[in-house]
Amino acid sequence: MKKLKDLNYRESWNNIWANYSVGVIFFFIFTLSIVVKGKHFLTLNNIINILRNNSIIGIIALGMTFIIASGGIDLSVGSQLVATGTIIILILESLSGLVPPLVCIALALLGGLTMGISLGFVNGLLITQGRIPPFIVTLGTMNVFRSVSQHFMRGGGFTTRNTDYIGIANYKLFGVIPLPILYFVALTVIMHVVSKHTRFGRFVYATGSNEKATKLSGINVNRVKLFTYALMGFLVALAAIVETSRMGSINPTSSANYYEMDAIAAAVIGGASMSGGKGLIVGTFFGVLTIGLINNMMTLVGVPPFLVSAMKGTIIVLAVLLQKKETEQ
Amino acid sequence: MAEFVLEMTNIYKSFSENCVLSDVNLSLQKGEIRALIGENGAGKSTLMNILGGVLNADSGSLFIAGEEVLICNPSAAKDLGIAFIHQELTLVNDLTVSENLFLGSEIRKKSGLLNINEMCRQSREVLKRLQVDLEPKTMVRSLDASYKQIVEIAKAIRSNARIIIMDEPTTALSNVEIENLFKVMRTLKDQGVSIIFISHKLQEVLTICDTYSILKDGVLVASGNFEEDKLTEAEMARLMVNVKRQEAFRSDDKEIGEIILEVEDYSLRKHFSNIDFSVRRGEILGFTGLLGDGRSELFQSIFGALKGATGTIRLNGKALNIRSTKDALASGIGYVPRNRKENGIIKDLSITQNLTITALTNFKHKLLLNHKREKQACDLHKNNLRIKMKNGKELITCLSGGNQQKVILGRWLEADPAILILDNPTQGVDVGAKQDIYSIIFELSMRGVSIIVLSNEANEVIRLCDRIHVMYHGSIAGELTHENASEESIMLLATGAGECATRNIA
Repeated sequence: MKKLKDLNYRESWNNIWANYSVGVIFFFIFTLSIVVKGKHFLTLNNIINILRNNSIIGIIALGMTFIIASGGIDLSVGSQLVATGTIIILILESLSGLVPPLVCIALALLGGLTMGISLGFVNGLLITQGRIPPFIVTLGTMNVFRSVSQHFMRGGGFTTRNTDYIGIANYKLFGVIPLPILYFVALTVIMHVVSKHTRFGRFVYATGSNEKATKLSGINVNRVKLFTYALMGFLVALAAIVETSRMGSINPTSSANYYEMDAIAAAVIGGASMSGGKGLIVGTFFGVLTIGLINNMMTLVGVPPFLVSAMKGTIIVLAVLLQKKETEQ
Repeated sequence: MAEFVLEMTNIYKSFSENCVLSDVNLSLQKGEIRALIGENGAGKSTLMNILGGVLNADSGSLFIAGEEVLICNPSAAKDLGIAFIHQELTLVNDLTVSENLFLGSEIRKKSGLLNINEMCRQSREVLKRLQVDLEPKTMVRSLDASYKQIVEIAKAIRSNARIIIMDEPTTALSNVEIENLFKVMRTLKDQGVSIIFISHKLQEVLTICDTYSILKDGVLVASGNFEEDKLTEAEMARLMVNVKRQEAFRSDDKEIGEIILEVEDYSLRKHFSNIDFSVRRGEILGFTGLLGDGRSELFQSIFGALKGATGTIRLNGKALNIRSTKDALASGIGYVPRNRKENGIIKDLSITQNLTITALTNFKHKLLLNHKREKQACDLHKNNLRIKMKNGKELITCLSGGNQQKVILGRWLEADPAILILDNPTQGVDVGAKQDIYSIIFELSMRGVSIIVLSNEANEVIRLCDRIHVMYHGSIAGELTHENASEESIMLLATGAGECATRNIA
């Protein structure tokens, strides 16, 4: 009888672990941070910093979770961000003085969002109509999007002097909370609802889990995938708005490097499975925070700058290793 | 007294609080073929997984050739000469037969390079022992299903297996292929190899097996020798089935209405050509034939899952252009696919989510899904279809095969189609669930749904269908009615021996 009890106990623990492991990992690192560097770590300033610094990656990671859950991958998000940001800054600067600043901003945002969605559509069309694996398609467009942007900017960066636009990401609510944090949290809530409570969300997970069965259930899986990539483009455009507003500039060569990798890492730490069908938005939210914590801690502890990536990489792999061990039983 | 190569005594096993095996005994003599039968979830797989080292028993003992052994992992089982041939074959399609036979235990020359000639020579020896004519350098991909099974057996023999467990080896095989497999099994039996044969097809069990063990709810309810006990199929079924279940009966006085679907001169290169047929409201139409006769492709094309077919489809007299499965769903055509695991279940979704996926629009309120209504639908189908499950929130993979099939059937019932195509609806489903599925089919046709049943089991289409089309090489070789169909007449048409069968595709 005792054996039976042990088994039950272990099973329920496995269940908890499978669903909430990222939360456990997050709180472990969080506690560790307090213990090790409590004084510097646990200040309002530092916490807000972590959140703000990761909100752009966070917004992208939300879309990436859907992409991965649908059985795909998008390596081009960094380049999409650069291309979208370029369009935004170009519109802002070429119209400045011709129309009132607010109209100028509205047109720039519209241009940026259209651009983002279009780039996502291009990926989606190549994947669904061209029947090319997502990895290959987005590997290609990753190069194309960035390279064309670099050409337009002649290799350099571009700055905007529109102070209202810069306010989008730099204004602080109550003088404390920077707006990007609010955008990230709000989008997390919206994407969570989309994933759990809409038909589209259900279809995304079904497609990633078993595309053939989903198709045979009378669902247009190509359209589901197309929308998923377009949604990714939309979220990247939002991230591009935050990024360009925060910096007041864009540089196709040095902006948004490795964003795709951080977004994928956040989704995967959050429990998304590269084989599709799995991945919670809440998990990704904590995945983003975990990566943010790790970055922050390494700066506070004083890890040599060139080794920061090595540490980060190790921790990502370890986190996923821990999850796999338990869920596969 | 013959020697026992295997004895399992007083085996107990439970998962959490569920006792799945209790006090089970099983023995096997040299050169014996023993049938292990029972409903899905009766504990057959668990028992065999214990023997194969995949699971450990809670208590009980295992004797191999009279010596007590502990089998704690699959490789230990292999060392003891036990080979487990799973339903899903473990062959690598892109390697040759001999490469597959030696996978993981390749013979190398002194230089460290592979000794391909030696491996081919030994492969030939093994295949000769099984009396099959197969060239070791053939690619496994190019073999038909029965030969793949045979290669799997050869792999077991090559590693000196004395006990072979075969888990439903015939589900994907046609009658001719099954005969092939049985021939090899008899050869092995003569050579003193013992086989445990798991199958739901009782007729086959009677043909090939010497002895039987019947499990019900984890308890051994009967075991013995077919010759001595003179057990019939019906008696076996009665022993296996849990609750006394009414056999599903077709009713002859139902009303068959007007023509609803007409297919004319319908062709798809390489798969089928010049198909003409029609279905009436409330009719049950059967399509049968040998494996690879093109009937699955035909109906996947009609359903919009395969592209490129030419010809005319008319629904209620109006020409229909179906370009996707979504169009088919919108036109009121449903399709329950064959190979549930590949084409049917969505493994990361729950039972409820699997059930509602097709008709998800019905559960939408404005933009959001109504989870409560989904749950209600799940409870309703749970009762109507007699789905054995605990909680709709569990993953669909927690269910047994028959219950998974019912969920997929329920998926389409929820969409309320006028025409429902069922491709091998009882594949890998136990006797009880089979009767349930038959009852559902009859009930649907009484309500005026037109049903098209595709099956490779002749007796199934005879039992279910009002009319039967037999296919051969992508053409309809002949049509039979419920009254004049027999297994012989179907076989004759399906093998191309019938007179109409001459017009096959080039």
